[in-house]
Amino acid sequence: MASYIARRILWTILLLLVITAVTFLIFYVLPTADPAALRAGRDPSPDLIRAIKHQLGLDQSLPQQYWHYTDRLFFHFDFGQSFINNTSVKSLIFDRLPNTIFLVVGAAVIWFTAGVVIGTVSATRRGSFADRFLMGGALIAISAPVYWMGLVCLYLFADDIGKWKIFPGSGSYQDAHGFFEKCWTLLLPWMVLAAAFAAIYARLLRSNLLETMSEDYIRTARAKGLKEKRVIVRHGLRSAITPIVTVLGLDIGILMGGAILTETVFNIDGIGRLSYDAIQRGDLATIQGTTIVLAAGVAIMSLVVDVLYAFLDPRVRY
Amino acid sequence: MLVVLAFVIAACGGDDNNSSSTGSTSGAAADSNNGKTADAAARKGGTVTMLAASDVDYVDPGHTYYTFGEMVTLATNRPLYSFKPDDANKPVPDLADGEPQISADKETVTVRIKPGIKYAPPVNRAVKSADVKYAFERFFSVNVGGQYATYFNMIKGAPQKPTTGVKPISGIETPDDQTIVFHLTRPTGVPFSAALVMPISVPVPEEYAKPFDARNPSTYNTHVAFTGPYMIKNNASGSLTGYKPGKSITIVRNPNWDAKTDYRPANVDGYLLRTNATDANVSARQVIDGNSMLLDTNPPANILKELVTKTKDQYLSVPSGGYRYFPLNLEVRPFDNINVRKAVMAGFSRNAARLARGGKYVGDIATHWLPPNFPGFDQAGGYKGFPDIDFFNANNEDGDMTVAAKYFKAAGYPSGRYTGSEQLLVVGANADPGKAQAEVATAQLQKMGFRVRLRLVPQDAVYTDWCQVPSKRVAMCGGAGWFKDFADPQSMLEPVFKGSNINRQSGNINYSMLNDPKVDAAMNKAALAAGDDRLRQWAAIDKMIIEDAAGIPFIWDKTTLVRSKNIVGVANPYIALWDLSYISIK
Repeated sequence: MASYIARRILWTILLLLVITAVTFLIFYVLPTADPAALRAGRDPSPDLIRAIKHQLGLDQSLPQQYWHYTDRLFFHFDFGQSFINNTSVKSLIFDRLPNTIFLVVGAAVIWFTAGVVIGTVSATRRGSFADRFLMGGALIAISAPVYWMGLVCLYLFADDIGKWKIFPGSGSYQDAHGFFEKCWTLLLPWMVLAAAFAAIYARLLRSNLLETMSEDYIRTARAKGLKEKRVIVRHGLRSAITPIVTVLGLDIGILMGGAILTETVFNIDGIGRLSYDAIQRGDLATIQGTTIVLAAGVAIMSLVVDVLYAFLDPRVRY
Repeated sequence: MLVVLAFVIAACGGDDNNSSSTGSTSGAAADSNNGKTADAAARKGGTVTMLAASDVDYVDPGHTYYTFGEMVTLATNRPLYSFKPDDANKPVPDLADGEPQISADKETVTVRIKPGIKYAPPVNRAVKSADVKYAFERFFSVNVGGQYATYFNMIKGAPQKPTTGVKPISGIETPDDQTIVFHLTRPTGVPFSAALVMPISVPVPEEYAKPFDARNPSTYNTHVAFTGPYMIKNNASGSLTGYKPGKSITIVRNPNWDAKTDYRPANVDGYLLRTNATDANVSARQVIDGNSMLLDTNPPANILKELVTKTKDQYLSVPSGGYRYFPLNLEVRPFDNINVRKAVMAGFSRNAARLARGGKYVGDIATHWLPPNFPGFDQAGGYKGFPDIDFFNANNEDGDMTVAAKYFKAAGYPSGRYTGSEQLLVVGANADPGKAQAEVATAQLQKMGFRVRLRLVPQDAVYTDWCQVPSKRVAMCGGAGWFKDFADPQSMLEPVFKGSNINRQSGNINYSMLNDPKVDAAMNKAALAAGDDRLRQWAAIDKMIIEDAAGIPFIWDKTTLVRSKNIVGVANPYIALWDLSYISIK
């Protein structure tokens, strides 16, 4: 087990190195807006552009730039300065990362809980009105774009512009203090972000559970006279839920970058918004920094999932 | 010495994202709700929240250039001269103690500054003329990155290239703590004086700023010493704790501000600017339905429609002091033929382009370059423009294909339409309204017979990667804009159309590549003129550029500002944005 974990960690480090190299190449080789011209303003002299290129190190050869970049990143954990406002990219990222983590983890708790409950109810009442209603709702949740659903929810339930003023509106998270107040302001975004995932998990669990409930050991459990509830929870659900748990970690990692639409609609200062704003303004240093952090998040979550999976199923260690 | 009784002038650049400095406006100071002036309706106290689609470019007054940055700068700092909300064209002394004194040869400008103006904590000392001198000196350092050196590089000894550190400028003298004297290399005292409204003239205390300016880039951007009625919240060491780039700016009262030295009422206690805010529809809705809130810029078209019909008292339409246009690249065939260009100008529907941008609310249809209520506008024919120019006047805003046919025939296309084989490259933004504008431009060219390749790219890349790079040979930039830096026609026309300013590498802003020796000579002459003669000369240059058919100005731009019902809204014509020093809560 220890050697497996060590190998996976080494692979993850290698993956991160490749990610930084690819990210660097993408942003410095592919044609994008000229950062020096962006910083120089609307009426720049050639001398000013040249001086800013020098200031940003853009007049160096590509290998030199890459060396400085990796040196800063790996030995000083420095992502450089934003091309737009001279602010440290590291401080920008770490200022916003907790908000995104809070948003995604909270949503994950909701989607996992809701997915399991809905999936279980649907599976155990297969063909009933409840099953059809819940699976129909799940289909809508999967089909509805997050951005659209967020706007609809705000116009229906936000306490400033909503028809029924129930939940805190867009931007309220920034003013919230304390854990419970933050949770309250995030309730609507959590539900919006969780809806599609909850629906996917519910459908997946329903399918797994239906398959599991027809297994011989379930019949054996029932034959032993166990109560139906205990059969479903202890024997059926426990088995059916395993593949869902393993993808949960990966989904959280992926969603760290994908929460951008929710952060935009609800005006949450997360890393997705930071990345979006940087793209809008051609701020390469920030785009690069956020891309690496988000990619590292997925790689690390993947590592955690693999290790957990190996812990649960020894066959994958070799 | 010549006492300058009135500043002439005005100008700078912008695009769809963030127009650069300024705008002229008439009547924007009055609250649109009740017609009363801001002062009459104002009361003190309260905090206002602004939902802003953008962010400041920089807080450092030596570096900021775009209007949103200047809005914050104006509320938190005191440049030598500034604009009151009720006059777009005549600057008033701010830090200065009277109008600038221009010598008879127009090569020396002397400014006295008011005594007793103190910096906010942690600096806490009175402003001296040496602080303004240092502000000019640091501006030319690459560490600071001052962006409009062209207006000030005629100071004797001013660096012609960005310096690696802060270097003294021999042409700026401070004979005493209240006097600053600028010695110029050319007799350009009039436009130089007009340009003293730019944030470069905000004082910077050398002993405090020097350690920050020594860094490359300077970190003064997060340690600014304020002199205005407001300051960005900071801590004991001056670090701006209230400035969170991309998130918010918390503005509070400056405890060292003395109302007796200032013309601004500074009514509210403070502001929370939520920058880069959220979905535009949600923001606009929140401001309209909420209390004590402001929206910084044009709401989405659907909200705009509602505003002008249902909630007329909650918006201001402010001329932004600029024009939006489609440059025609004179170096690209067949636009190298003046008759082809005239034909395009004649046949092009400016009305269609305005509709693509949002219709009549986004501006008046342009008939020449200098915008309404701007020095030189009347001299350039006002709204009628130049009736003797048949291919571009007030009567053909929908395009006139008969006139266009006449010029196509003159260019050698007897069918009255373009029949050549060249494919024109049109570049525009990949998001509205830039996208819609570029598509309209393409359709207009196609209707005249041109083959067009439309390339839509991210907003910033439109300029930095395409339109500003002559080697890319962009035939038409799909919707450029130019906005005043200050009230002078020189800065509206010279940066955009002076041939000697063409930069063939990158960063070129003469998108038309207009290199007409007659225009350049007229500009050189008009740069030295003063008073009415100056305005007449620049109006004549406006006409010369139209006659050169260098581009199609399609609107004189306006900005729509939205506020909550309980806000007395006051805009500043200089920046075409809210004036935070005049806003109050009802």
